Order: sequence, then C-alpha cells, then structure tokens
Amino acid sequence: MAMIVEAIDLKKTYMLGKIPVEALRGVNLKVESGDFLAVLGPSGSGKSTLLNLVGVLDKPTAGTLLIDGVDVSKLSDNQLSDLRCRVGFVFQFFNLIPRFTARDNVELSLSIAGVSKAERKKRAEKLLETVGLKDRINHKPAELSGGQQQRVAIARALANNPRFLLLDEPTGNIDSRTAREILRLVKRLNTEKGVTIIMVTHDQHLAREAKRVVQMFDGVITSDVVNGELT
Amino acid sequence: MRIRDVFSYSFSAIKLRKIRAGLTTLGVVIGIAAIVALLSITQGLQNTITMQLETGLATDTLIVSPGRSFFSEGGAGIGGGFGDSDSDFKLFINDTETINALSPDIELSAARIQKTIYIQSSERGFLINVIGVDFAEYMDLYGSTFVAESGTINVNPENSEIVIGKTLYDPWENGTLLFNVNDEVEVIWTNATARPPKNESYTGQIAAVLKEIGGFGFGGPSDIGVYIPISQAQSFFDTDECSQIVVKLANSDQATIDSVSELITDVFNGEVSVISSTAVLNLLGSVFSIIQLFLAGIAAISLLVAGIGIMNIMIVSLIERTREIGILKALGMKSRTVLMIFLGESVIIGLIGAVLGLGLGWVLANVVAVVFSGGGPFAGIGGSQATGVEAGGMDIIPVLTPTVLVGALGFGVGVSVIFALYPAWRASKLKPVEALRYE
Repeated sequence: MAMIVEAIDLKKTYMLGKIPVEALRGVNLKVESGDFLAVLGPSGSGKSTLLNLVGVLDKPTAGTLLIDGVDVSKLSDNQLSDLRCRVGFVFQFFNLIPRFTARDNVELSLSIAGVSKAERKKRAEKLLETVGLKDRINHKPAELSGGQQQRVAIARALANNPRFLLLDEPTGNIDSRTAREILRLVKRLNTEKGVTIIMVTHDQHLAREAKRVVQMFDGVITSDVVNGELT
Repeated sequence: MRIRDVFSYSFSAIKLRKIRAGLTTLGVVIGIAAIVALLSITQGLQNTITMQLETGLATDTLIVSPGRSFFSEGGAGIGGGFGDSDSDFKLFINDTETINALSPDIELSAARIQKTIYIQSSERGFLINVIGVDFAEYMDLYGSTFVAESGTINVNPENSEIVIGKTLYDPWENGTLLFNVNDEVEVIWTNATARPPKNESYTGQIAAVLKEIGGFGFGGPSDIGVYIPISQAQSFFDTDECSQIVVKLANSDQATIDSVSELITDVFNGEVSVISSTAVLNLLGSVFSIIQLFLAGIAAISLLVAGIGIMNIMIVSLIERTREIGILKALGMKSRTVLMIFLGESVIIGLIGAVLGLGLGWVLANVVAVVFSGGGPFAGIGGSQATGVEAGGMDIIPVLTPTVLVGALGFGVGVSVIFALYPAWRASKLKPVEALRYE
C-alpha cells in the first residue's frame, strides 16, 4: 500500500499571548492508502493540531511532513492551496457557507478547483445523493439538521476526489443516533470507495469502528494499534 | 477558480447585504453624478458661448487697443488681452496709416471711436455706447454683418446719419418699435474733460437698421450697437484719439495672425494689445478647461468620500467574513482568488455606481439646463441691463463627451478598486487556521 501521510518528529508550538504552548512535541505517524485511522485523546492532547497540519491548514514548527511523498514545507502558498483542494476536510462545526444551498456549498469546492459549471452541478447532485441528501439539495444550512449539515460537509469534502478525508470531531455537535449514521457513512466510504480516513474524536465508541486507533496525550502519540489486535 | 465564478461569488456576497451595498453604491452614484453633471453643463455652456462668439465673428480681423497686453509680451500668443488703463499711451485715427504700411498681409485697418452717449427719441431715451466708424470701411470689414435690413448705409454718409442694431429697433420682438428708420433722435454727450463739464448734443437721423446678427457680436457689429460716421464722432467728441483700430488680414492663418500681431505690437513699442478673435476663442477654451478641471476636482472630492466609504464597508465585511475566508482557504482557494473576490465586489459596486451616476448626472445636467435656458423660470439672467433690453437666456445644451463618459466609468470603478485594495489584501493574507478559529 502507498504511503499517503508520513510525519517525522512533527512539532508545533503556538504562542498563547506571550506564553509558548507546545501542542505537538514530536509526532511520528504513517498512514497508508485505504486506512481508517481514529485519533483519540482528551482535549488539549494535540489531535486537532495534528489534523490541521496533515490538512495543510497550518505549518509545523519543526519536523517533516510528507504527503504523497512530498515535503509540504517546501511547497509555495499556491501549491499548498492546490494540495488543500485534494484534501477533504470535515469540521466539527460544519463550516458551510450559510447563504449557499447544499448544492452550492458542494459546488463551491468544485468551483475553487476550476471545474466547469455543468460538471459541477452533476457531481454535486451525485455526491449529495451518496450522502443521502437527494431531497435536500436546494436547502440552505439553516434549513438542515446538524446531521444533514455534516453530511453536506462530507459531500463537499469528497467533491474533488481527495487523497484522504480528515474529520475533526465530526459527530461532536450532533446527537448520538445521527452520529452513528454519519459514522456508518464514513465507514462505507472507506470500505466501498477506498477513501483513506483520518478521524479525530474523543469518543471511544466511535474510535472502535476505525481500523486503527492512535492515542494521543500531551502532544505525543502514546499508542498506535490496529483494531482487533486489542485484547 | 474561473473568473466568472469569482464574480458570481462576489455578487452573492453583495446580495447578502443589500442595504449596505446600496448605500455604498449611492456614494459612488453621487460622486459620478456630480462630475458628469458639472462637466456636461460646463461643456454645454462653453459650446453655447463659443457659438455666440462665432456668430458674426470675423476670424480674419485683429483688434488693436491702447495699453499693454496682460498676456504674452509678443502680444500675439494665446493671449491678446485688455488694455492697461495705467498707460498714457494713446492710439490715434491716423495710426491706421502706420498699420497699413506694416505688411502686405494687412488689407485694411479702420479706427473706431467709442463713447457713452445718451440717445433720446421723442418718447424714450437711454445711455448707450456709440461707435464712430467709417461706414465704407466697416462694410468692407464686416461684409456679412454690417448690412442694412431697412434703410440704407451710405458709403459717404451725412454727419447726422445713424445706423442701429436690430435690438434697438424692435427690442421686445413684438412689433413695438423703439427707433425706426428716418426717426430723428437727440444725441447727448457729457464732456467730462471740459471745466465745468458740459453737455454737447446734436440731432441725428436713423438711416438704417442692421439685420439681426445674434451672438455677442464680439469685436464687430452687434445687435445693440449704435454707429455714427467717424468724421462726425471726431468733431462731436472733439478728438483724434480712437478707442480701437480694427485690422483686416488677407487670410486667417495662425501664422499671419501671429506675425502681423507682432509687427503691430512692435511698431507701437508694445504699448498696444492686439486681440485676434481666434486668440479669444482659444483663451476662452483654456479658461473653460480650467473651470472644468476645477469643478471636476470638487466633484472628485465627493467620490473620494465614497471611496473611503467603500474601504470602511470592505473592512467591516472582511471582519464579518473572516471565518468564511477561512473556509474558502481550507477548501483550497488561492490567496489571489480571495483578493479577486474582494476586488470583484468593489468593481461591481463601482460599475453599478458609475453607470447609475452617469444617468443621474445626465438627468441633472438637463434639468439645470432647462431651468436656466430660455423659457425656463430663470431665463433672461445675464440679459443686457445697460440697454434695458431683454436679451433672453442662453440655450445651454449639456454635452456628454466620450471622454467624460469613459472617464466617469473608469474613475468610478478605479476609485472603488483602489480603496478596496487594502481590505482585499488583508483578506487574502488571512491564515486558514486562524480565520477558521475566528468567532
């Protein structure tokens, strides 16, 4: 299997006012194509920071991050933007554009990648159908439930056939029943479509559904096990 | 991202805040409307005045007056000008001989004596300028305007003969005649240099009424002119001094005008000013250019204010949309695309504002023109007070030149874009993670 993400001694230090905060203190991680990784840890353990780095939304302070074998620290701003097009990011708070309908939100992602209007429309509708929102295509985020909004966000993240899907507490803001539905969808994307998934969560039950669970604490990875190997 | 998609995104952002965008646009509308209205009115006014001047204007004549020119020392440049009253230099009737001998380009020169007199008919009388000229020479000089409509202008007139302009014949244009051919009138002149000052008078007779000339009759015959033979003027006013000498040239080339003007100035040691009608037209043109620039400058200030409004609104919008920008960047939007989205919004606002402003400015210009032109409530402003004769308002037709049209559009969009540059740049520089975290 091809290596999609490889982090070598990854460090990230934030400045909180004048106090430096070490969010990541040397993380080593390898993610292969087709993997389904759950990153588990209490808040403040650095899991979201790791996800932001892998999604090239942020730059590491030290260490090396290879995505598809390319060192991201060597990429220009424009190249980073292009890379972001090929990374699907799903946020805890959905981050949809409120004035756009579900379809427009999905289309936005495609439009940024330069896809033609006709093609955009077709793909957006197909994606929304995939996530089970065929009858909600023309609804704005305010007219959708949390779970539905998150599904729109997943459809948007999948729009440009990303190399991998990053989910930051995808169920953190929705009820447990909807959360299970979302997880089923994510699992299906992984098993049926072969989408590589990295999901950050603090929910043990969700993590159990992943193929592999990485535990983080205080900016470092404390355990990295393949599910089922746990006894 | 495709440019069309960028604009459609910009437009969706504007649509979200209609009132705010509307008010911002209004600023541009007012600025552009002010510029367009002022410029097209001024252009119209200039056209009207130029046209009035050109009516009955002889482009092949120069007018020589005593006194140094205000303008260029050569006397013939753009300037010409008005006499300097401090000089004690005097121009005499026989100076025409000096002038005639100067150049083969000079066909003829005629002296004019101009005085203010009181003209009295059996019913009415008023103060007016009388001009003493050689009728024959004047007919030669102004063949198209010094023409009788009724009566006859004699080449060798009797001293008592008087020629009047059309306005003095029928000032109200309703058939109520003020002076008619063959009327006897009393010409009274106060000799202020006599001690004590005393009134001189003689009885003249209207020999001819000129046909209507229109315009201002610059330099030449006019509708409010009163003309007497120069010999009569000489003896009645008891003077050999003349007010002006009108010089007719063989052609109206700028080169001829310049060289003859210089010759005349030089022969009188620079003590005279030589005005050519072309120079006056040029001068008028440059004066209007300055006025236009000045007015446009004032109007531009309002556009500047609009620009600051745009900047203000853009910064507010930037702060409100920080999170949105974070989302766009997280989805892979390039910094320059974010910049273009914000600039796109200002282009849309600027363009809509400029187009509406053009329309509004044009309407305003026309309203102003109607109000101040003949027939409007303020018609007649600027009519001749001295004669008590209604001259009627000038018809101003606002002119929208292509330069103003394109300039106003360009300026409206330009100002909007310039003031949006800073907010747009700031938006483009936002870091995705920080922008997403913004509440």
